[in-house]
Amino acid sequence: MKGIQRRIWVGVLWVCLALFPGSLPAQTPPKDGSPDVIALLKEQNSKLSDDLRRIQREIAALRADFDKPGLREVFSGIGYIFGLFGVAAFAAARRKE
Amino acid sequence: MHISDGVLPISVTVGGYIAGAALVAWSAGRTHSEELPKLAVVTAAFFVASLVHVPFGPTSVHLIVPGLTGALLGPPAFLSIGLGLLLQSFLFQFGGLTALGANALMMGLPALACGWFFQRYKGRTQLRQAIVGGLSGSLGTALAAIILAIFLFTGGEDFFGVAKIALLAHVPVILIEGVVSAFTIGFLVRVKPVLLQPSFTRPRKVAHG
Repeated sequence: MKGIQRRIWVGVLWVCLALFPGSLPAQTPPKDGSPDVIALLKEQNSKLSDDLRRIQREIAALRADFDKPGLREVFSGIGYIFGLFGVAAFAAARRKE
Repeated sequence: MHISDGVLPISVTVGGYIAGAALVAWSAGRTHSEELPKLAVVTAAFFVASLVHVPFGPTSVHLIVPGLTGALLGPPAFLSIGLGLLLQSFLFQFGGLTALGANALMMGLPALACGWFFQRYKGRTQLRQAIVGGLSGSLGTALAAIILAIFLFTGGEDFFGVAKIALLAHVPVILIEGVVSAFTIGFLVRVKPVLLQPSFTRPRKVAHG
């Protein structure tokens, strides 16, 4: 009887320590022994690593997007071109007068 | 197809700048002031065209359009391409700033050649103009690939190897560019044929409004 109680307490303590950073919503661990706790931990672990992989992929995609010229560069370039040729046309018109 | 910083030896870089500047000056001298709006629009189109990715098989290629620019503009095409490349290298980080002269030669000389080719052989009928336009579009990219190989040869590469790779890598671009140029010029012939008479052949007398 005493041995079982001690095992439960150790399991609960372990779960608390494992969840201490607490990024996941706190789940009450089942209070009936370590195999379930280990299964739960494994499940959470795999979920976390899946999330992590997804986020890494997103960061890579974002980084690739940063290298690509965006709409702002395109329109500023077109603006430069029209502006420069506008100035040229203005100067040419002034010279012709 | 842009040459990056540090690929070419210094002498070629400087020579490219000098030749590019001379051609820009010549090109600006051949520009009539009433052509400036058209020049601006075509330059903007050239500037943006490099962002148009065309799906081709498993990959996608982007347009370069030196041939079409030359066919539409004639001699002012070099000025237009130089400005377009300058802004592309500032804003898009395409090609290095030190290699700008070489890049301008690489795109601008084919443009001039294509402009001459188009005006020389365009004939009268709409179909023929579209076909010759498509040919000059393809020719522009092919010539640019060859000039790229020449520049890389000065950087110490084996000419025929690089030329082969550059041409092979650009076969899809050459094909697509031909089709795009043919459609564009075919459309312009029907809608606004005046646009296709650049100053290679334009009569000097132009009525001012």
